[in-house]
Amino acid sequence: MSDTGENYTTFNSRALVEVVGDVTDEALKATKIKQLLSVLAGRFFNWAGRKSLFTLHLGIKCCAIEMAAAATPRFDGDRFGVLFRSSPRQSDVLLVNGPISKKFADPIVRLWEQMPEPKYCIAMGECAISGGPYYQSYNILEGVDTLIPVDVYIPGCPPRPETLIDGFGKLREKIIRIGGAPSTGRDGEKPIIVGDD
Amino acid sequence: MAEMWITMGPQHPMTHGLWTLRVKVDGETVTDTEAELGYIHRGVEKICEARDFTQITPYCDRLCYVSAMTWAHSYVMAAEDLLEAEVPERAEYIRLMAAEVQRLASHLMWLGAFGPDIGNLTLMTWCLRDREMFLDLLQELGGSRMHYNYPRIGGVKRDIPIGWGNRLKAKVKLFEHRIKEYEMLLDESTIWLVRLQGVGYATAEDQLNAGVTGPNIRAAGVNTDARWTNPYSVYDQVDWEPAVEKPTSVKGADCYDRYRVRMEEMRQSCRMLLDAIDKIPGGANTHYQPGDEMILTKAPTRAPEGATGFSTYECTRGVSNFYIQGGGDGRGKNPYRLSIRSPMFITIPYVAKTMIGYKIADIPAIMGSFDPCIGETDR
Amino acid sequence: MVTAVTKEQNAEAAKAVVENLSSRFSDAGVVAEVIAHTSGKAYEFVRITCSPDQWRGVAKHLKNEVGVNYCAMVTGTHFPEGGADRGWEVAYHMYRWPIVNVAAHTMTVLEGDKLKGDEIPVEFEIFIPLPAGDTPSVPSIQDIWEGADWNEKETWDLVGIDFEGHVNMHRVLNPHDSPASFHPLQRQHKIRYHDFNEMYDDPQGFGRKPVDEGRVK
Repeated sequence: MSDTGENYTTFNSRALVEVVGDVTDEALKATKIKQLLSVLAGRFFNWAGRKSLFTLHLGIKCCAIEMAAAATPRFDGDRFGVLFRSSPRQSDVLLVNGPISKKFADPIVRLWEQMPEPKYCIAMGECAISGGPYYQSYNILEGVDTLIPVDVYIPGCPPRPETLIDGFGKLREKIIRIGGAPSTGRDGEKPIIVGDD
Repeated sequence: MAEMWITMGPQHPMTHGLWTLRVKVDGETVTDTEAELGYIHRGVEKICEARDFTQITPYCDRLCYVSAMTWAHSYVMAAEDLLEAEVPERAEYIRLMAAEVQRLASHLMWLGAFGPDIGNLTLMTWCLRDREMFLDLLQELGGSRMHYNYPRIGGVKRDIPIGWGNRLKAKVKLFEHRIKEYEMLLDESTIWLVRLQGVGYATAEDQLNAGVTGPNIRAAGVNTDARWTNPYSVYDQVDWEPAVEKPTSVKGADCYDRYRVRMEEMRQSCRMLLDAIDKIPGGANTHYQPGDEMILTKAPTRAPEGATGFSTYECTRGVSNFYIQGGGDGRGKNPYRLSIRSPMFITIPYVAKTMIGYKIADIPAIMGSFDPCIGETDR
Repeated sequence: MVTAVTKEQNAEAAKAVVENLSSRFSDAGVVAEVIAHTSGKAYEFVRITCSPDQWRGVAKHLKNEVGVNYCAMVTGTHFPEGGADRGWEVAYHMYRWPIVNVAAHTMTVLEGDKLKGDEIPVEFEIFIPLPAGDTPSVPSIQDIWEGADWNEKETWDLVGIDFEGHVNMHRVLNPHDSPASFHPLQRQHKIRYHDFNEMYDDPQGFGRKPVDEGRVK
């Protein structure tokens, strides 16, 4: 109900929702119920999420073929809960499987921003890690971590489908270690490089 | 009814690669299209100006990643034309067999991606399972499932392992039965036929004028194939015929014809493989060491300025050409200019025009039937 | 069993094409010759060298009289040290193939060794050297072969050669907001890390010699 200088106030439903929301938020914070709920919700979403990592159906280059092969009967990523979703709004993991060109830098950042939290990024293949064989190119960025924070790096050119499934396994372990929602708990967790143990 | 532009953006499950197709729709009908490429332009032509000729072969594998062996073979043929190198006959047979196994794997990948576009998810699991058989064969040759770096200038990297011939024969004979299973699944399926027939007409002359080649033209009724019009390797010594489909209409070939051409091409590749493994000089069960002159001749490493090399090659998606000019850095160790002609770079804008007049739901059918692969488009 | 085009047919067709072109264009200075590939089956092709002013005439003759129906690739090269006459070069590669439209439910089966005359496939290579300078330009053949359309766009995008008369020229591979004069395949643009030091150029030390013993990179 904002005062626009006229001698009446207009009833604005959006403003009503905002005010009620703010009042409720303050009340919950004061009684510490909000803190409890967010811890419980974070733990619940973490448990649910690590069993079913929905990956965005994004195929950039050759590693996308190995990603597709990882979903096929021989390697079968689906038994680990890895399902491919077409929309970024419905996916948890952004699997970057190819080099990022200057033209694609903007779309991939937009895809990342469209994904809701909790979200994770896996850089698959040399091109996504550091530019790969095209590190000298005028059009390719030196790795997707120049744009997006990466959680797991999977080296290989292309990595075998079993390596990709192992990468998802390492991501799952990392999610367990984080424990809550990643926006609060990811500081201190270094990105994992598959094969580095 | 107002028309509007819809973007089938770079991230889209249907587009089989990273490119944008903007369609202008009037209700459900497509009235105009615009294709935008270049999302994975890697500047391979520029990078290769700073690489030796042997260092360029892995880059060519990664051009069309679904069909790596054929692209490496195409480049190596152009490099041999430039460097004036000869290839022993056993190596030609091995290259032919590797290229045909790769053609089978590539067509299976195409079918495995095309089926889900039409709605047939079974095909993805079946085709990718069968593709694994051939990927195992190529892994024995090249060491990796996808990027082999196998052809060398003057021959091949190493000889076929002992027993490879028997495994090839067993797998190919099994696969010939599997093709019948696919046809049993698809050719009597009403949904498949209704979605593919009558959609996406393209005539042969129209396509050739636009620069489209390969199975897309053979679907329109003319048995043209670079393997016999511009002969290379030992294709004139093995038993095969180009796979051609009679177009169902004077308006040209529809999606169903293009699908049938690729099934027939898979059969012809099987025929070629069984014939080549019997005819290979030296026999299928002898193994020569890497570098032996039966499989590799020493090729010069430098090309003088003014020398050029050009290759015509029937890749899985059309005719691919490499044009190399010698005389680069290192007194000719690097090429001065390497130019790559990819069949899909020309086909995709042509296909975007073919879609005009059909419904939105026909777009995946038409686009998938031309078999796009963006890796080679956007070098 | 497929019957491929034989070397005799190929030589005969290439010779006939060169005679046709020479009789029509040789007084204008267009050079047409038969060259053989230097490896593999060593088939012959026709190489034409002409100047930019003659190019449209030669192109129309190739399309209408000689029957060239497939424009395969357009390549532009920058020669900063090529001299005043050859600062840039455009290379066209084309083919003549016997492809015709067929009626519904019919197909054309061609037998390679039975093709005669104009039906024999021929490969063409056309070089157009351009004078050195900042504005290389060649007439466009977009209206003659539709396949040249995107090839010319790509050549302009990457190399910077202007095609006069080309309708709707735009960037195809580089981003649309690249600077207007950015054409990456020109020689003055270098790749990233182009002046690598020796450690990366020769990581395994193949170029080391005994005199390099003890030398620290």
